[in-house]
Amino acid sequence: MRGLDKTFPGTTALRNVDWELRAGEIHALCGGNGSGKSTLIKILSGIYKGSAGGTIRIADAEVAADEINPKWSHEAGVRVVHQDLGLFPDMTVAENLSLGRGFEKSRISGISWRKVEVRVRELLERFEIEASPATLLSSLSPAVRTEVAIARALQDQGDQHRGTLIIDEATAALPLHEAQALFASLRRFAARGQSVVFVSHRLDEVLSLCDRVSVLRDGDMQGTWDTASIDEAALIRLVVGKDLEQVRRDARPSTQGPSALKVSEMDVGPVSGVSFEVARGEILGIAGLLGSGRSELLRGIFGDLEPRRGAVEVDGQPIRVRRPADAMSAGIALIPEDRAVAAAFADQSLSMNISAAVLRRYWRRLRMRPRSMARDARALVGQFGIKAARVDQAIDTLSGGNQQKAILARWLQRDPRVILLDEPTQGVDVGARAEIYRLIGERVAAGAGAVLVASDFEELASFADRVLVLRDGCIQAEVPCAEITPHRLSQLVYSGGESHVAVH
Amino acid sequence: MSLSTDQITEPGAQTPLKPIKNRGSRPSLTSTAVNQLERLGLPLMLVVLVAFFTIDGSTGELFTSSANVRQLLSNQAVTGIVALAMLVPLTAGYFDLSVPAVAGLASITFAQLAGPAGYPAWVGLLAALAVSLLSGAITGWLVAGLRLNGFIVTLGLYTLIQGGLQYFTDGQTISSGLPDWVGSWGFETFLGLPRPFWVLVVAAVVVWYVLTHLPRGRELEGIGSNERAAHLVGINVRKDVWLAFLGSATLAGLAGLMITIRSGSADPASGPAYLFPALAAVFLGATCIRPGRYNVWGTMCGVYLLAVAVNGFTFLGADSWVSPVFNGGALILAVLVSTLMGRQRERLSGSD
Repeated sequence: MRGLDKTFPGTTALRNVDWELRAGEIHALCGGNGSGKSTLIKILSGIYKGSAGGTIRIADAEVAADEINPKWSHEAGVRVVHQDLGLFPDMTVAENLSLGRGFEKSRISGISWRKVEVRVRELLERFEIEASPATLLSSLSPAVRTEVAIARALQDQGDQHRGTLIIDEATAALPLHEAQALFASLRRFAARGQSVVFVSHRLDEVLSLCDRVSVLRDGDMQGTWDTASIDEAALIRLVVGKDLEQVRRDARPSTQGPSALKVSEMDVGPVSGVSFEVARGEILGIAGLLGSGRSELLRGIFGDLEPRRGAVEVDGQPIRVRRPADAMSAGIALIPEDRAVAAAFADQSLSMNISAAVLRRYWRRLRMRPRSMARDARALVGQFGIKAARVDQAIDTLSGGNQQKAILARWLQRDPRVILLDEPTQGVDVGARAEIYRLIGERVAAGAGAVLVASDFEELASFADRVLVLRDGCIQAEVPCAEITPHRLSQLVYSGGESHVAVH
Repeated sequence: MSLSTDQITEPGAQTPLKPIKNRGSRPSLTSTAVNQLERLGLPLMLVVLVAFFTIDGSTGELFTSSANVRQLLSNQAVTGIVALAMLVPLTAGYFDLSVPAVAGLASITFAQLAGPAGYPAWVGLLAALAVSLLSGAITGWLVAGLRLNGFIVTLGLYTLIQGGLQYFTDGQTISSGLPDWVGSWGFETFLGLPRPFWVLVVAAVVVWYVLTHLPRGRELEGIGSNERAAHLVGINVRKDVWLAFLGSATLAGLAGLMITIRSGSADPASGPAYLFPALAAVFLGATCIRPGRYNVWGTMCGVYLLAVAVNGFTFLGADSWVSPVFNGGALILAVLVSTLMGRQRERLSGSD
């Protein structure tokens, strides 16, 4: 018999969490962003330490939460397969199953490929993976890749299957039937005593594939249920939280004014045949999971991706967009997802970052005017409430929220007619989030139209006037202002949908 | 000198965060000193070296002789222009290793047309520049258009052009039939300084102006900082990078002309000698003036620091192995110091 029992006392991420995992079960862990799932997993695998007072027991071994370390976890049989799998696509299956573990050596201490192959073959057989050792990983389907990652995590346990396998959203990119095949093999391991923790956003999957489910919200463990005794609606309520139903919205007078943006029959990335209209003074929300095409839709409108088909109108004028500069001159702005990768010039000054989209304004009488650039930047820093000592300090010395406000200042100073927002408050604290929406709200009230993509449904419910639900690249539903609640959005986004598009 | 956004920068830019209204408050004295030291480290080292070789009894007389000073200034003009040519695409984050080879190509083209082939000198000059531009256009197309790895493409081009020159010239230096002014032009002075040095000064000012005072130059720096973000603020990344390679090739062509004009001949093997000193100067330059960024005046300091050191050591009677050891050592030391200072700065700003 084994079982684990953990208590994490009051960190902000996790409050006094008790959790029990039985041997040989598949146990789902659910929760929204920031609910503490990842923290829990990281403590369990020893990457983070818990605060003093908590204990973690796995089988007969027990450790204080503030003394856990990766070595202890590993010895206790905890293995994690992460969302990105951490495999090497350009290497063979055999190499992927050997790196990190070590290759078999020949007598003169080179690699004995024969021995490696024997081990890998046996491993592939044991885990029933349909691949040969010499296959390049990149030529395998996502499901088989996930199996290889699991095999790699479990390979050194031999045939024993005792221990804890944590699968952290690793099936997010798999179509349901492939996920089911994967679960068939997980079932076999579980039957032999392996415990599996399955972290997922896809509640339908959780209910049909797991034995029990635990829900975390805001660092509090809400409880554990048998999947047979709970339905999807109840689970969504647990994940989102009951009181959120009452999030008050300023019911903006539904200004069905003239259209600010009109998109017709757009095909781009996984998006196909999407049409919608945004009125001036309206914030249109887009709800969808990763891979639903939500980001690609915005990038297509902005000219960052080339749409295969479709037409765009701004203020009733048809526009032709081939690159972002075209969209910008038509009055479109895009605040992209992932600031560090797509928006911030990390080593450049705050003033350069703020002026990046209006650089040519500062070329006067044959030279750049850094002083007037700095003066304007200082004015914007004040106006946007950016906390910075000087406008010449590098932007990466600022907090995430202040960086994001600087990016917002970069675009809003252009007085855009259409503001495209892709997760505008990612990695931003609550105070800055409210500020950001206040600033966007001002522009929208002044007659701009906005499209807001957010994976936080609470955010959509609070700020969008209307929400389109995007699934598999198509608009599945349109939710009018009065009906937008996090609960309703979760239902529409998560439920149903036999086919999930795999997109990376 | 004015360097765009950094100009508003008083020393001590990267101090701990304070509310904006405290903008007037000065950073601590020590952090100001550290920053100034970092900014001016390389120029100071150059001054110290010059002073040392001037004062030292065994080298002073030779080192400060007008012949030596002229030789020093003039010799480094080509290295300096080659370094500037590498600096332009590097601002956008792209290596151009083909510069020395393209300079060699221009040098040979000019000498061959104006010499043995018997065309007027201006035809040779124009043809040399045209050939350089063509090579830059091709590199730009491969790197910016087809998105190939710039380091590899330009390394390939460097090798290919060097081989082609060897084949074309049979390894022989071209010197016959060149007009008389070729060979003597470079030894004449203007305002007391050798003409090739003035060419370098003009080239440096032009590159500095383009990089810091034209929007396109600021865009290149944006591309070098974050190419994806640059694309999303409407910068035409492909065009800018392509133009950077074109600019680089133009400077390479100019360097090539200077090689022929200064020596009165064209040696197909002359290019490679400039690769390391020029590259080292660019990297050394990024440790001063605007630490962490490739910049024109830092690069110029780098060129002359290496040249002065090697020149002085030669007068001290050092063996030939001393100069490569110094070049390599200086490069590692400069990077070491600037990296450690950068980390210190991060710690200062992160601790708040």
